[in-house]
Amino acid sequence: MLPVTHYLFLSFALYFIGFTGVLTRRNLVVKLFSIEIILNAASINFMVFARLYGAPTGQAFSILVVAMLALELFVALVIIAAVCSRWKCATRDYGKALSSQLDY
Amino acid sequence: MLNHILSAFRTYMHGDGAMLLPEMQLFLFAIGTLAMDSWAANAPSESAEGSPVYQQNYWNPAIALAGIAFSALTLGMLRARIMQSGELAGFHLTLVIDNYFVFFSALFLAATALVILLSVNSSTISPVRQGRYFALLLFACISMMLMVSAVDLVVIFLAVEAAAICAYFLAATPGLSNRTPSAAVRFVFSSALGSALVVYGFSLLYGLSGASNITQVARALGSRHNVAKVIALSHQSSQQGLQMLQLLQLRLPEAVHWHAFTLEVLPIAAFLLVSVGIIVKFAVPPFQAAFNDANGEKDFGIPGPVILYLSGAFTIAAAALLVRLLFTIFADSQNIWWYIIAGLAICGIGYGILGSLRQTNLERIVVYSSIGQMGYVLLGIVAANEGAATAMTYYLFTYLFMVTGLFGVLIAVGEKNAPAGFLSDLSGLRQRSTVMAVLLIVFVLSLAGAPPTAGFFGRYFIFHSLLETGHRYIAWFVALSSLPLAYSYLRIAVDAWRGNKSASDSTAVVFGVREAIVLGICVFVSLAAGLYSEPFTRMARYAFGQ
Repeated sequence: MLPVTHYLFLSFALYFIGFTGVLTRRNLVVKLFSIEIILNAASINFMVFARLYGAPTGQAFSILVVAMLALELFVALVIIAAVCSRWKCATRDYGKALSSQLDY
Repeated sequence: MLNHILSAFRTYMHGDGAMLLPEMQLFLFAIGTLAMDSWAANAPSESAEGSPVYQQNYWNPAIALAGIAFSALTLGMLRARIMQSGELAGFHLTLVIDNYFVFFSALFLAATALVILLSVNSSTISPVRQGRYFALLLFACISMMLMVSAVDLVVIFLAVEAAAICAYFLAATPGLSNRTPSAAVRFVFSSALGSALVVYGFSLLYGLSGASNITQVARALGSRHNVAKVIALSHQSSQQGLQMLQLLQLRLPEAVHWHAFTLEVLPIAAFLLVSVGIIVKFAVPPFQAAFNDANGEKDFGIPGPVILYLSGAFTIAAAALLVRLLFTIFADSQNIWWYIIAGLAICGIGYGILGSLRQTNLERIVVYSSIGQMGYVLLGIVAANEGAATAMTYYLFTYLFMVTGLFGVLIAVGEKNAPAGFLSDLSGLRQRSTVMAVLLIVFVLSLAGAPPTAGFFGRYFIFHSLLETGHRYIAWFVALSSLPLAYSYLRIAVDAWRGNKSASDSTAVVFGVREAIVLGICVFVSLAAGLYSEPFTRMARYAFGQ
């Protein structure tokens, strides 16, 4: 196994990308993806540590994180769809690309 | 076969199952509310103008309240049990039933009951299929109870997520409210960011300790300095280093993969991620929503009772979870991290006060100043002695009733014609209803921290514990910052008492039995906890098992 530090660097890089994405991007879907990237970084951490300690807790945690990730994605997309249908896309601007309509 | 199942069920209910009984009862009643909703569908009748008119359905809130009553009863029985036999731990040490859990669960049940009473007939909640609204409130209550009962990182994470998802749906389901939920999107995103930060922090904690139970995590973190020293020694190429390396490989094989520096830095990162993540997740979202000034909207886009639930019960749950995590996992390094928490608290207080001073929207004033209120609770974590523990629980307890009372007045005053959205809507309230004006003044004085009320004692206890532990400057900051905070609250009351409104608007305020019950309870706590605080401080001490 590689030293833990290597994996930590990878997950921290992912975390940093995700965090920057959430703070700087204006598109709702890209923001959502950025949050998912942070969760993936955490999931990598859990897998690494589960391997390190040879304990199943980390693996269970990482599966739960993935399940939660899917659930959160689902809920957030539903809410975006619901809000957009009422709020922004009600005045649909066909001249604009869909991506810019999702800008917040 | 059936006997088998029944006996297995009975064993379960006598063992671990008993610990989950309050939550289970709430769950069953929440399902019942949903079922009742489809059974007694609320069919609209046509009014004279042709718009659909919905009958008020009292079944759903009644079932939800019954669930809370049963759950509270079971909680009382659990309390009696832990008084006899000490705290219970079960589900492989992932859940505990202790005084802390009992105190905060009772608080969440009370908060949910008050919000349910205020939501009946509320014009901001859509009358179509109201059952799902009440069911969501119960589900949120269950997850908050699990949040204070969980002592395992995995379960804490699941409970936090469940609470957050209930909050998303409460705030953002368009069919639930009659208002446009444009602000809800911000809410969902900042909350999701908060949970991502918390999970990352948890992953680091798990990595540092190899355990997920928070007491085991704390034990592992406590010995990290020594482990880091040994690792640093083992990296030397001398004879001693080689010996250390062999010893490490023998005794602590995982430590070979670590670097001494990462072992020292990661706990700090984990602390920052967990504390900031929880604050972002539960405390900031309502305030994020408050930013949404677009279109000069009169409201958040989130119904009044839901804002109350988010800025009352959810914030209290976050504070309770934060206190449990910080005092269990990071207890031994409190002398280091209190700077960070103090900084966060002072920023929160300043931000809340400045934000509330420039608002004219009532809900926003209340919500902004509740950041300030939570800042004072965080300062209790800074002091971290016995008095501070009492102060924090007393503060959270009384804060819930004060803020519910204030929101209750706003909802009761503004419901029928124009919602009490802005300061000017309350102007001349005394001419419309003297009782309401007096109640408003009581709650406002209490939140502002005027002497004979509960708010004053909460802040005084915090002040006192800060002085006791030698944080003199922070204590004076608490005292001085109360003045602008008091101003931002008091201008609500002054306008309501002295303002004049044109005669055409001055309809009398009618309020029903439910509002009377809610306001009665809230005004009782706000005054009684101040005038005769001894039973209340005893209750607050109970939470920490003192």
